[in-house]
Amino acid sequence: MAIRRGPREPRYQAMPSKFKTVLVEGAVVALGGALLAWACNALSPRGLALTRNYFPGATRPPKVASPGTNTAPVGAAGSPAGFPADSVAARLQARQLRVVDRAGMETLFRDPRRAQGLVVIVDARDDAQYQAGHIPGAHQLDHYRAPAYLPTVLPVCLNAEAVVVYCHGGDCEDAEFAATLLHEAGVPLERLAVYVGGFSEWATNNLPVERGAHRGSPAGGEVQ
Amino acid sequence: MSLPTRAQHYPRGEVLAVLARWAVGGLLIYMGLVKALEPVGFLKLVRQYDLVQQPVLLNSIAALLPWFETFCGLLLLLGVAVRGTALLLLAMLLPFTALVLKRALVLHAASTLAFCAVKFDCGCGLGEVYICHKLAENGVLMLICLWLLAGWGRRWALRYGLWPGVPSSPDPSQPVAGA
Repeated sequence: MAIRRGPREPRYQAMPSKFKTVLVEGAVVALGGALLAWACNALSPRGLALTRNYFPGATRPPKVASPGTNTAPVGAAGSPAGFPADSVAARLQARQLRVVDRAGMETLFRDPRRAQGLVVIVDARDDAQYQAGHIPGAHQLDHYRAPAYLPTVLPVCLNAEAVVVYCHGGDCEDAEFAATLLHEAGVPLERLAVYVGGFSEWATNNLPVERGAHRGSPAGGEVQ
Repeated sequence: MSLPTRAQHYPRGEVLAVLARWAVGGLLIYMGLVKALEPVGFLKLVRQYDLVQQPVLLNSIAALLPWFETFCGLLLLLGVAVRGTALLLLAMLLPFTALVLKRALVLHAASTLAFCAVKFDCGCGLGEVYICHKLAENGVLMLICLWLLAGWGRRWALRYGLWPGVPSSPDPSQPVAGA
């Protein structure tokens, strides 16, 4: 006896195969996209090195306050980004990095040894921020692009008696990472320090600021 | 007497679906390129989510995701493998929305602000956004992906399905369900 099929049955049978087709299509797109993304990153001059640790010595990222939030807790005086200076100092202490406050930074800035290259100031921010304004005479070390800066900055730091690294201040961790990078490259830890207030504190206190290309370049910088 | 086709029955719906496909495609290309051209900034933002600890995984997410997003946007804009791409986007949007919500809840718990007043850079490529706006935006994007997944938006598509047999324009012989 022949079994009579209902009119809807073929459509139900077709559903899993249609979904399977979409699934396979999605998998092909995912694979193609991943390969293309890998190639684009490899070819891009701004591409990331996949195996490099860009956050050396870091434990966990700060959970609550970070750049780009409106929820940063109210900080102690002198913490321009509103981040508690105590917690930054504790983090630096955990990394065995010395902390320099604004007064200490000004003293180092006016230290006659700076002219002899025995006191070195390092700016750990990116190129655009550095060119917009930096502490006069500061060497740039964007640690995310270390190979471009380290060959110039490292010999200067190795010859110095004191190296102070800064970024924009507040919860910015780039100065810590740059200092760690310098330490790993051979600069003794006892010579390294981090200026916690950073450039924002320096600039808001009307201290001298230099603008333009990094030191040593033909363009030089303009002090204001 | 022939049954009305889907396109004949809902021509405005089909045009709207194509417009939505183009809009999502364009948005993905923009957001992807913004991040791809500034991968360090995106890397820092991805790290804030505390998803992975291994540098290679963290770097891979930050380096590859923006280009991947751009690629998916291009496919939607051109109309290539539309349903597969929509499924993939849905699979990415769901966990990403959950992560953004989780981070917003952490920020909200640590502040005195109302939940919808919480504003942060979620790493979407649009800078700082209010969390409620972001959740609504992601909701709309997921609905559009579901719409495309259901078979809409196949008009003006270069290659709607990757395999032969999936028509790029509405099949005139396909009857509308329930018509």
